[in-house]
Amino acid sequence: MKLAIDETRCKGCNLCTKVCPYHIFQAGKKPNKKGIVLPELDRPERCANCRLQYLYGRTLCGVCQLTCPDQAIHWVDEEPYEPMKVAIEY
Amino acid sequence: MTRTEFWQGNIACAEGALAAGCRFFGGYPITPSTEVAEHMAVKLPKKNGVFIQMEDEIASIAAVIGASWTGARAMTATSGPGFSLMMENIGYAAMTETPCVIVNVQRGGPSTGQPTMGAQGDMMQCRFGSHGDYSIIALCPASVQEMYELTARAFNLADQYRVPVFLMADEIIGHMREKILVPDSVPLQQRKALVKGTLPFKPGADMIPGFPQFGKGYGVHVTGLTHDERGYPCATNPKLHETLVHRLVDKVEIARDQIADYDVINPDAEQVFIAYGAPVRTVQQLLHDRADEKIGFLRIRTVWPFPEKSLRAFKNAKRFLVPELNLGQIAREIERHTNVPVQSLPKLGGDLHTPQELREALEAGQ
Amino acid sequence: MSYEDWFRKDRLPHIFCAGCGNGTIINCTLAAIEQMDWKKDDTVFVSGIGCSSRASGYIITDSLHTTHGRAIAFATGVKMANPNLNVVVFTGDGDLAAIGGNHFIHACRRNIDITVVCMNNQIYGMTGGQGSPTTPKGCLSSTTPYGCVESPFDLSELAIAAGANYVSRWTSYHVKELEKAIKTGFETPGFSFIEALVQCPTAFGRRNKFKQVSDQIEYMKAHSLLKAKYDRLVESGEPVPTDMFIVGELAHRKRPVMGAKP
Ligand SMILES: Cc1ncc(C[n+]2csc(CCOP(=O)(O)OP(=O)(O)O)c2C)c(N)n1
Ligand code: SF4
Ligand code: SF4
Ligand code: SF4
Repeated sequence: MKLAIDETRCKGCNLCTKVCPYHIFQAGKKPNKKGIVLPELDRPERCANCRLQYLYGRTLCGVCQLTCPDQAIHWVDEEPYEPMKVAIEY
Repeated sequence: MTRTEFWQGNIACAEGALAAGCRFFGGYPITPSTEVAEHMAVKLPKKNGVFIQMEDEIASIAAVIGASWTGARAMTATSGPGFSLMMENIGYAAMTETPCVIVNVQRGGPSTGQPTMGAQGDMMQCRFGSHGDYSIIALCPASVQEMYELTARAFNLADQYRVPVFLMADEIIGHMREKILVPDSVPLQQRKALVKGTLPFKPGADMIPGFPQFGKGYGVHVTGLTHDERGYPCATNPKLHETLVHRLVDKVEIARDQIADYDVINPDAEQVFIAYGAPVRTVQQLLHDRADEKIGFLRIRTVWPFPEKSLRAFKNAKRFLVPELNLGQIAREIERHTNVPVQSLPKLGGDLHTPQELREALEAGQ
Repeated sequence: MSYEDWFRKDRLPHIFCAGCGNGTIINCTLAAIEQMDWKKDDTVFVSGIGCSSRASGYIITDSLHTTHGRAIAFATGVKMANPNLNVVVFTGDGDLAAIGGNHFIHACRRNIDITVVCMNNQIYGMTGGQGSPTTPKGCLSSTTPYGCVESPFDLSELAIAAGANYVSRWTSYHVKELEKAIKTGFETPGFSFIEALVQCPTAFGRRNKFKQVSDQIEYMKAHSLLKAKYDRLVESGEPVPTDMFIVGELAHRKRPVMGAKP
């Protein structure tokens, strides 16, 4: 699974940047066509949910998704072999 | 098989509602309507229905509307001050096309006025009391028998046209006791259900959408905001608002003739009384006392939408005399529909006109 | 599988301002519902008028968006007429405690089996930022331009005093806790009241020195005092900080209930 921000819904409030324990969401820099500055994802494959959602059959953590007031955060399926190697941090 | 009873008007009203399948009553005590609530409190629990005394009349009508969306036939009963409190949610019922029955046993107003005295001062309020344009149906009983029958009919009309229907009684009829013939059953006409797959607020040929009852899988959103046929708020589209409000009004207005209920007595007369509610009884007495004179009488049971065609039944009419327990609210409506001179015979204070008073009015103009 | 299925997707994005906490509360409510075995067909959302009350329109179930302050009265009718339905009310602080205050306390007294989620943004958001019954003393609003001089209501205390079976308060920062509280509210027979403090960046934050949405989130995080901690402070006789509000489960009891499923 892959973390994704729905551009049609995100209003650029940056609340997601405050809540992720891995700081995956970073404040964006340039506005999109609607003038909204979407957050950028920093190595989203680190998200517990991306890796383990299928395995556990339920949402793990999911704090960003619950917090996002605009229902803009979700996980989408990935192409086979798409996941990158997870960088383990100590 | 009918059975004979000797009932008070308010009891007959409650019994008429029960016969029509009313299974939810939300109300707040107020003279002179309280007996309706008290009787429902006794009877509804035994019929698997719900009686709930709410914290005020605003909550009462709100609960009634909520109950109606679960498919229940629901009603409330009140009088002037409570009626005033209900107005905002009555507009909500009109906008959301919620079937419901509101009984107003009218008393003298304004304000607290005369709690124990009859009046007909809320006739315009029931038609126009909430803000914005809409249409409703109002019935006026003039006997205990009609308290029963018109209440039962009110539920059918509410379900058929999806509007709030008012039983505009008065203290005199509400508290009067007389003989009543109670039928075994009353005619029942249920709500037309929404056909699955159709938009919830898309009207049929009769301008009325099918009813998407809660809990049946329609997933309908009901809002008092201007809404499109999906039921979604769309409050800034002028065209949509105009179309919606026109439909809310027209669906009742085009059915005027089907809704209308009145009696035409002595249609050839030149002098014609027009009455609804308690004053009907004084006119009847006068007609009885002067049977040889063939005085004209239009006795109206459905005041809103006003059955304007009924006026044309009196081809020779030179004058319409309208005794009312208010300062001429319906007389003014009649004027709108006819070129025949209309004489309002207002009476306030709680007493009925006497036959003598009506006779004098009749003679004074001849 | 996920609570996202409960959204009326064709109506998103919703009308709330960027960063408005209301959206978060809808998420938490739906996430809690997803854990119950409630069917969409048997669930009804009722709301009043206000930004917060628009929430009902974004959910796929039957929903009744009513008049200002009256949501609980409408919900009482729905629930009493069909106790098999699960009835959830969304309301705002003005809707619930000002114009609808009477319906609120009476529903608590009756202990009718519904769950009320109040998005308390301490202001009238929809009408542009007037003071509400929960605007804290000294706060600025368009009708308290010199600072609010009235004392605010503690909505949860009110619910407890009036008899609600379940009362809990969290904020839009505490999403997981809030989700759990709402779920417990659903599970508890009787009147369940969940007060969710939310940020209203547009009408409240802007006037009250919260420049960024996140500033208000940080404030709520820093000023919420856990119920357990509060109890410990009281027990040990230590002073309770006056600028903090208590969060957590505030009441959970078994008073007689009205309108429960047969
Ligand atoms: C009877 C009535 N009075 C006033 C209003 C105007 N009005 C609309 S929303 C609102 C305030 C809503 O405040 P709150 O419940 O706190 O919700 P919020 O918008 O802050 O979420 C008011 C006063 C109304 N719609 N109806
Ligand atoms: S919380 Fe949601 S709306 Fe806000 S910036 Fe992040 S993705 Fe966008
Ligand atoms: S689910 Fe948790 S870890 Fe994953 S991105 Fe969201 S907040 Fe971060
Ligand atoms: S005005 Fe306030 S409460 Fe209303 S949508 Fe905007 S941020 Fe939310």
